Order: sequence, then structure tokens, then C-alpha cells
Amino acid sequence: MRAMLTWLMAAVALGISGCGYNAIQSRDEQVKASWSEVLNQYQRRADLVPNLVNTVKGYASHEKEVLTRVTEARARVGSVQASPELFNDPQAFAKFEAAQTQLTTSLSRLLAVSENYPQLKSDANFRDLQAQLEGTENRIAVARNKYIKAVQDYNTTVRSFAANLTASVFGYKEKPNFSVSNEAEISRPPQVNFGTAPTPASGATN
Amino acid sequence: MNIVKTARIVLLALIPFWSSVASADVAIPALTARVTDETATLTGGQRASLEQTLQDFEAKKGSQISVLIVPTTRPETIEQFSMRVVEQWKLGRKRVDDGALLIVAKNDRALRIEVGYGLEGVLNDATSSRIINEVIVPRFEQGDFRGGVSAGVDSMMNVINGEPLPPPDRRAVGGSGNVRGYLPVLFVLTLVAGGVLRAVLGRLAGSVVTGGGVAVVAWLLSGAVSIAFFAGAIALLFTLFGSGLGAFVGGRAIGGPGEGTGRTTFRGGGGGFGGGGASGRW
Repeated sequence: MRAMLTWLMAAVALGISGCGYNAIQSRDEQVKASWSEVLNQYQRRADLVPNLVNTVKGYASHEKEVLTRVTEARARVGSVQASPELFNDPQAFAKFEAAQTQLTTSLSRLLAVSENYPQLKSDANFRDLQAQLEGTENRIAVARNKYIKAVQDYNTTVRSFAANLTASVFGYKEKPNFSVSNEAEISRPPQVNFGTAPTPASGATN
Repeated sequence: MNIVKTARIVLLALIPFWSSVASADVAIPALTARVTDETATLTGGQRASLEQTLQDFEAKKGSQISVLIVPTTRPETIEQFSMRVVEQWKLGRKRVDDGALLIVAKNDRALRIEVGYGLEGVLNDATSSRIINEVIVPRFEQGDFRGGVSAGVDSMMNVINGEPLPPPDRRAVGGSGNVRGYLPVLFVLTLVAGGVLRAVLGRLAGSVVTGGGVAVVAWLLSGAVSIAFFAGAIALLFTLFGSGLGAFVGGRAIGGPGEGTGRTTFRGGGGGFGGGGASGRW
């Protein structure tokens, strides 16, 4: 009886590790951790925005439109519930992505505009903030990259044979990755238009 | 004439392949030293002194700083390339993540300080950016690469010195340190020395001397008494009860080749990077 029980337990343990249950668990945790890192870095960027806006305001207060757009985008990012479980809800995920993309665009616009103000550019505080912002953008890129890889790992596991049966039994679904269409939009080169120049800002789109 | 013509045709035929090679990402150089210069910008002496400075710093503070000078990082940006480099090199200690990389892409006129997780607090983006723009770039603009690199490394070390980090491992002082790396050497040593000593001193005395010797060597390498004791005991038992193999190998190896593992290469300690740091151009 005892021996049988031991054998049974061994079989169950072997079955669990053989059917990919543990692999799914560890990949799932990996995805969660790397997603938290993405959120963490986005949060870091959002925290930088008020300081940056204030500093720019001190030198370029009449760039109201650009500044307002950044503040609005910042507010929108804050309003999207950035919960760690966000990636299980494709719609909320897309919304989050859109908000962050908007902040990215408006921030790069702000930095482009600031090129026109030599005094602002030589301000030590602004330069530090700019360095921090650049560093954070880079960290976001790195974190997103790691998330993409983690999701790829997870999805591969969930879809390959043996583990896919386990996944369907326990309800593990594929996770969304950063969508490619969105990426294409971001990576499209900016249009430089020298023809119409209503504000001094439009010349600095490089 | 014919040969020239053939050569020209071959070259022309190779052009499409060449362009496909050129558009591929730049390969990451192998990590063999703290200072890797693929552009021959630094002379041998400059490289060696920089290397020595960085090695002393690691011995004192524990954090690994490395310098990499490449001609170009195209088609990648310097940020993408340096991230790939540090992910492969894994500078800094594991779980302390106190590595940093100064990378210069000479023909792109770009440089970057890549900072490990553990140093992001002290060598933060703003500080890195200041080191780049106020210390390194002015020198690079005058063509003083040697001065720029060493002044930049000095500032990085100054900044890192202000951060309380865990003390360096004693065994890391020698350059690279990991007992596991020495295990095969110890094993061979036990076989050879054990065989010789057993033949010379007799079974029991030879075993005791071998065990003691291995224990001392293990202690020197690892710095831990428990490991030394364990290794010594194994060596003793191995020599005492081992078959004639030890004696055989020992007899054959007298006057044979030595171990020849004196040269230690630099290795990353397993530190992690998350994209912190700053980039600059000149």
C-alpha cells in the first residue's frame, strides 16, 4: 500500500513536471515581472514630466500649446489604470499603449521646441532633466524588449505540445505583445515641413 | 591580365554578399580584458595602465568597469549595441549589479556610459551625462582620446567611490576568481602529486602530505576553511584508497607538461543592466 502510494506520488510529480505545468508557471511569473518593470519605467517617466514642464515654462512660457499637450498626455497616462494584470485585458492594454505613445510624442515635441531656446538649453537643471528623460526612454525601450521576449517565451510554451493541453485545462491563454502596427506608426519618420511656419517651433522637428 | 580580370569578376560577384554582411549587426567582441580597443586608438602602454587602474579599482571596491572602443555600431544605435554588449558581458557582481561600461564608437562620433542596476542610484543619468559632456567630450573634440577615456573612467570611479557597496570578494583580487574554475586543476594536482608522493613516501605518509597540500591550495584559492578542509579530506582518501592510477599517472607525468594555467582572463561577474546611463556625441 505504502509503496503504491509512493509510486503514485512519483507519477503525479513526474506528470506535472512533464506536462509543462511548472514551465508555464515560471514563464508566467517572468512575464509578470517584466511587465512590472515596464510599468515601473513608464511611471518614472510620468514622474519626470511635471518638473520638466515647469522648467521649460520658466524660459518658454509662450509655447503654451506644446506644454498643454504634454500635461494632458501626462494626465491621460495617469488616468489609465496601470494594474499589473493589464496584459490579460487586450482592450485596456491597447488603451494604455495609446496613452503612453501620446506622451512619447508630446514629450519629443517639447524637447524639439526647447532647441529654440539657448538659455533653456544651457540651464543645468534642464540638462539634467533632459538626461534623465533620455535615460528613462532608453530604459523603457529595454524593459519593453525584455517583456516582448518574456511573452514570446511564454506563448511558445503555452502553444507547444503537451504544455498546451495543460494550459487549456488550467486556463492559461496567450498574452498580448506590443502590437506591430503600433510600432510601425511610431517608427515612421517624422514629416519635416519647411513651407508653413506659423510658430518658431515648427522648424525644429529634426 | 587574365588573373586581374578573374579577380575583378570574383570581387564584383562578392559585392552583394558584402553588402549583406555589412548590413548585419556588429558582432560583439569577446570579453578578454577590461579595456577592449578595436580601433588601435590607445597604445599598448596606455591600455595596460588603464587596465591596471580598473583592476585595482575592482580589487578595492568590487565593482567592474570596462572600456570598449569600436569603430562603429551601425546599423544599430549606440544604445542598442551597448545593451547587447552588457547583456553578453554581464559586468558587475551577481545580485549587486555594480558594473559599468564606457563605450566609444569612434567613427560614429558617439559614446555612452552604460550603468548597471546597482549603480543607477549614484551614477545616475544626469551624472553620466555630465561626465560625458563636461569631462570626455571636450577632450575628444581636441582629438585627445586617451585623455578623454582615462579622465572619464577616473570620474566614474570617483562617483562610484561615494556609494557604499558590499566589500569585494577576496578571491576576486587575483583577477578572476571562482573555485569551480580551479577544480580540474586541483583534481589533476591530486592525481599527479598524490601518485608521486605515494611512490616516494609510502601509502600513508604520501596521502597525508597530499591531503595537506591540496587543503592549503584550496584555502589559498577559495579563502574558505571549510572548502579547504573538504578538498583536503577528499584528496587524502583518494590517494590513500585510490587504485594504482594515481601512481601511474604520477610516474608518467614526472617531467611532463605543467598545468599552464597561469594566465587569467577577465570575466564578467553576472551583473544585470536595465538601460540606465547616458549617451553623448562629439
